[in-house]
Amino acid sequence: MRALLEATNLRKSFGPTPALDGAGLSVRAGEVVAVMGPSGSGKSTLLHCLAGILQPDSGTVRYRDAELSSMPDAQRSELRRTDFGFVFQFGQLVPELSCLENVALPLRLGGIKRRAAESRAREWLERLEVTGVADKRPGETSGGQGQRVAVARALVTGPSVVFADEPTGALDSLNGERVMQLLTAAARETNAAVVLVTHEARVAAYSDREVVVRDGKSREVEPAR
Amino acid sequence: MKRWFSDLALGVRLALGGGRTSWVRLVLTGAGIGLGVAVLLAASSVPTIFAERAERSSQQAAIPGEADDRALYLRWWITEYRAETVDVRYMMAGGPQAPVPPGIPAVPGDGEMYVSPALRELLDSPEGELLRERFPQKVIGSIGDNALTAPHDLVAMVGDPRMPRDSADPIARFGGPTQAQDLGPLLTLLVIVGCVVLLFPILVFVGISTRLAGAQRDRRLAALRLVGAGAQRVRRIAAGEALLGAVIGLAVGTGLFMISRRFVEDVRLLGLSVFTGDLTPVPWLAVLISALVPVLAVVTSVLAMRRTVVEPLGVVRHTKPVRRVLWWRLVPIALGTVALLTQAGSMGESSGGAGNQEVLIGGIVLLLLGIPTMLPWVVERSVSRLRGGAPSWQLAIRRLQLESGTAARVVGGVAVVLAGAIALQSVLTSVSAKIIEEPLSEADRGKVHVSLRQEPQDLAPQAVGMLERAEGVKRVHTTQSLAYRTDTRNYQGITIGTCEAMTALTALPDCQDGDAFMVVNQAATGNPAVAPGTTVTAFSEDEEITKSWTVPQYELVRAEIVTRNTSGLFLTPAAVRGADLPPGRTQIMVELDQSKADAVEHVRNAVAPLTWRTFVSFVGEIDMADRVVQFMSVRQALLAGSLITLLLAGASLLVLALEQVRERRRPLAVLAASGVPRGALGRSLLWQNAVPLLLALVVSTAVGTGLAALLLRVLDLPVALDWGGIGLLSVAAAGLGLVVTALTLPSLRRATGALGLRSE
Amino acid sequence: MSIGHTLLGLLEKGPRHGYDLKRAYDERFGQDRPLHYGQVYTTLSRLLRNGLVEEAGVEAGDGPERKRYAITDAGVTDVEKWLSTPEKPEPYLQNTLYSKVVLALLSGRDAGDVLDTQRSAHLVTMRELTKRKAAGDLADQLICDHALFHLEADLRWLELTAARLDRLKTEVVR
Ligand SMILES: Nc1ncnc2c1ncn2[C@@H]1O[C@H](COP(=O)(O)OP(=O)(O)OP(=O)(O)O)[C@@H](O)[C@H]1O
Ligand SMILES: [Mg+2]
Repeated sequence: MRALLEATNLRKSFGPTPALDGAGLSVRAGEVVAVMGPSGSGKSTLLHCLAGILQPDSGTVRYRDAELSSMPDAQRSELRRTDFGFVFQFGQLVPELSCLENVALPLRLGGIKRRAAESRAREWLERLEVTGVADKRPGETSGGQGQRVAVARALVTGPSVVFADEPTGALDSLNGERVMQLLTAAARETNAAVVLVTHEARVAAYSDREVVVRDGKSREVEPAR
Repeated sequence: MKRWFSDLALGVRLALGGGRTSWVRLVLTGAGIGLGVAVLLAASSVPTIFAERAERSSQQAAIPGEADDRALYLRWWITEYRAETVDVRYMMAGGPQAPVPPGIPAVPGDGEMYVSPALRELLDSPEGELLRERFPQKVIGSIGDNALTAPHDLVAMVGDPRMPRDSADPIARFGGPTQAQDLGPLLTLLVIVGCVVLLFPILVFVGISTRLAGAQRDRRLAALRLVGAGAQRVRRIAAGEALLGAVIGLAVGTGLFMISRRFVEDVRLLGLSVFTGDLTPVPWLAVLISALVPVLAVVTSVLAMRRTVVEPLGVVRHTKPVRRVLWWRLVPIALGTVALLTQAGSMGESSGGAGNQEVLIGGIVLLLLGIPTMLPWVVERSVSRLRGGAPSWQLAIRRLQLESGTAARVVGGVAVVLAGAIALQSVLTSVSAKIIEEPLSEADRGKVHVSLRQEPQDLAPQAVGMLERAEGVKRVHTTQSLAYRTDTRNYQGITIGTCEAMTALTALPDCQDGDAFMVVNQAATGNPAVAPGTTVTAFSEDEEITKSWTVPQYELVRAEIVTRNTSGLFLTPAAVRGADLPPGRTQIMVELDQSKADAVEHVRNAVAPLTWRTFVSFVGEIDMADRVVQFMSVRQALLAGSLITLLLAGASLLVLALEQVRERRRPLAVLAASGVPRGALGRSLLWQNAVPLLLALVVSTAVGTGLAALLLRVLDLPVALDWGGIGLLSVAAAGLGLVVTALTLPSLRRATGALGLRSE
Repeated sequence: MSIGHTLLGLLEKGPRHGYDLKRAYDERFGQDRPLHYGQVYTTLSRLLRNGLVEEAGVEAGDGPERKRYAITDAGVTDVEKWLSTPEKPEPYLQNTLYSKVVLALLSGRDAGDVLDTQRSAHLVTMRELTKRKAAGDLADQLICDHALFHLEADLRWLELTAARLDRLKTEVVR
């Protein structure tokens, strides 16, 4: 099967020390890939390059038939809105908007009418069991609730790839488990691939296979049957 | 198009959402912009104020006519009361058809008068007690506003049917064409510099206010970028936010303006006051302001986003800002300098004001604009090498290194005001030296002249009698004054009096009866002294009687200050005995007992029964030329404007500093919670404002003096800078910064309370 | 784990046949090692002997599977005592994984490689457990989580050791 998203030989430096040094990764449609490795090894940087948020110094990132690193910014923005979803450890919600509006935001940016967008957003909040916080602002929710809202927002557009960077990093085990269950279940249902950066094995266990990043180099581990 | 609108709407939604924090931010933005808008609206009313004043004074213009029964006989009397001028008009109707002056319903009869509201208030108050003696007439009504130039004018219109017709002006009607004032190149440039220097900082403040809470906004927009809003759209969204702030600011500003307009009649700033009705913005200027403010808001906020727009990662990483580049920041200063250099000498006296006003204004604006563009770079480079020090210092410096932009913005407005003030001050000083060629003599508060109008019968004995009985009078001297001329152009005064009387007037060495003196200016400019023995034409002051006369032997005296009353020939009675001179006019000089308060008012009251036939002035007080009067009023208006701008600078600085504390509430709370003493936080806040302020002082002093030098070249005046004034202004600005920091300390206390820890 | 106590605990809900007991045990606790049939009966007869269970009636027919067992008061007390006594924390010193890894690392093999291989293997198991957890009931989840946390703990220790050894190695080389 052809890879949906494929990065090869990525290099990226911040100043003198390289954050990525020839890393690569390929993601097939609908699979959950865990990216693991010690702190500072370049996991987040790899994820940002895959998602087109960062431009690598060299190497290629191919999504479907397009080359991300040669796309203009506007097109990459568009791609983020329509085909990608993001869940970070924290901070990705717009603090000024209510949770419902936050989830509806990508749809509205895509030109969908407010009412339609919000009703779809509400469905997703229901699926993630956080209808209670729909009218609260992110600052007024607990970390776990906020993460579920973020998951809802990542999935609401029906993306092909969801990028999750330590999505459970700030949560306790119970909430973390729940967020992971909801995220992977929803992703599988919509056939969305998930790129999951984590250093917790228990969280990585929700994946289909793992990729290990060390010193800016990645090593794909084929699933042992 | 629809996309546009929905993006703007989303921006508005973002600015409104966020609960208390957003509201506080909006209130601060509204206050910041609103203050500026209010001042701009007031400034845009200035043309109306002048137009209305001119209109009213043209209505007041008395057109002389035939001395017959259809005329109104009018006599002006200017009297002073504790440094305020009271404008009194005595009038008598020649007949029933006589015109009635504007502002009153009918010509007042004998013993009646109309007074302006301010005068009525003064007369009714305890402070006006002494003045009441000068007005025995009964007040029968108020003078309407249409007959006053300003609400605080002290005016009385008094009926005086016993006034002899031939000593008053017959007036056929009131109302003439409005007269345009020609200020001449010097004053025109001064007014231009003043307006630009005072108004431009306000625009800077408006621009700065729209960037409140910049870091927070950047984070919010980064979150939008992450979910896939393109750079273009994020700009539109930010524009929407800025628009909302601008609109709120406009509303707040209009409200502020409307409210303060109501009270404007009660306010006197440096003696200036304005009618509420006159304080009406010129319509096109008002429209311009309401368009300019939102445009400015949008432009500055979009420009400010150059960097953040490209970074969706702003949500997780606060990267160190890119190093600023210098070259484009120097462009405004360079362009402004070139613009002003091209105009060098163009507004000089000799070139008659051929300067291009647009280029001049543009040049000044560009130079001043250079300050807010330069400052961030200067702050960044200056702090980047600083290390170590006490914890509070370190906190402040690290903060400045990370976010020099905010700090530069906070002090940017004040810096512009300061630079403008320095330039204005220097130009004012030079121009005043040019316009007031002779130093204004210090009036001698211990002596007054009592001038009398010439009447068929000599009023002097009567006046002297009145004065000798008055309270606070030490001595009453009389002298005779007449004049002579050598040719048609060179006039000089002759004063005849006893040694005692003349010594009181001017410093004469060792005077004995029979002596004669010639008093000339020390610098010996002006008319050359006539040699003794020259035959000249002597004449009475009205030039009706002229006689040929030979100048006697005299002693030359060089005096410090020479005015009309205290220069020329001084002759003792014995020196002119037998000489055939035209009759002189009696001058009365009164020595006051300065230990008595209001002695001069008692003198004025003593001769008040003679009304318009007298005028009392201090010895040494000189009548100023029209140009000097104009200059004085321009200077006064500029100083009043500077005061307002300075207040605005303080208010804006406060708003910005408060916002800075608010934005950094969480880190501050964390520091306080982890045991950093409040004192250290307060000091770090102080450093954080003081360091940029110091840099701002340096930059603005440099730009201000540069601007002053350029402007003086434009005026063709020697470049002389008033370092004392510059120092004083800088110290004042520094003081302002300190006061503002002190005012933010309570908010720091609140921010570092337990609640600050809760992130929102 | 004490099979006797576990069976007693299962009987607390109500009397059961021996066969039922085995099924219940296997379902909840025996994922890796189902009980032998005989084991159940020897245990039950030991409990009977000690007076911790009693026969609660025999159904028509023959053979031990026809018997129903119920817990006695003494049995309830015994379960309570067992539950309230803490297990002795066992350091996993005899664990083979530990010995292997320490040997591998000490013999100069690349710590990262050892870690990766072991993590990969661990993750395979952990994925299975995670899947089973998603399908199972609460008891399943508890058991799976128990295993998952232990496996994770192994990995964490391994990561820490690897990181330390790496540092140690650079220090030695320097
Ligand atoms: N914006 C940046 N500026 C400077 N250095 C950066 C930046 N982003 C990443 N780095 C550096 O790149 C390296 C890799 O960072 P990255 O965030 O990708 O690590 P990570 O594997 O995600 O670590 P963690 O598990 O701790 O999140 C680190 O050394 C980090 O210091
Ligand atoms: Mg990371």
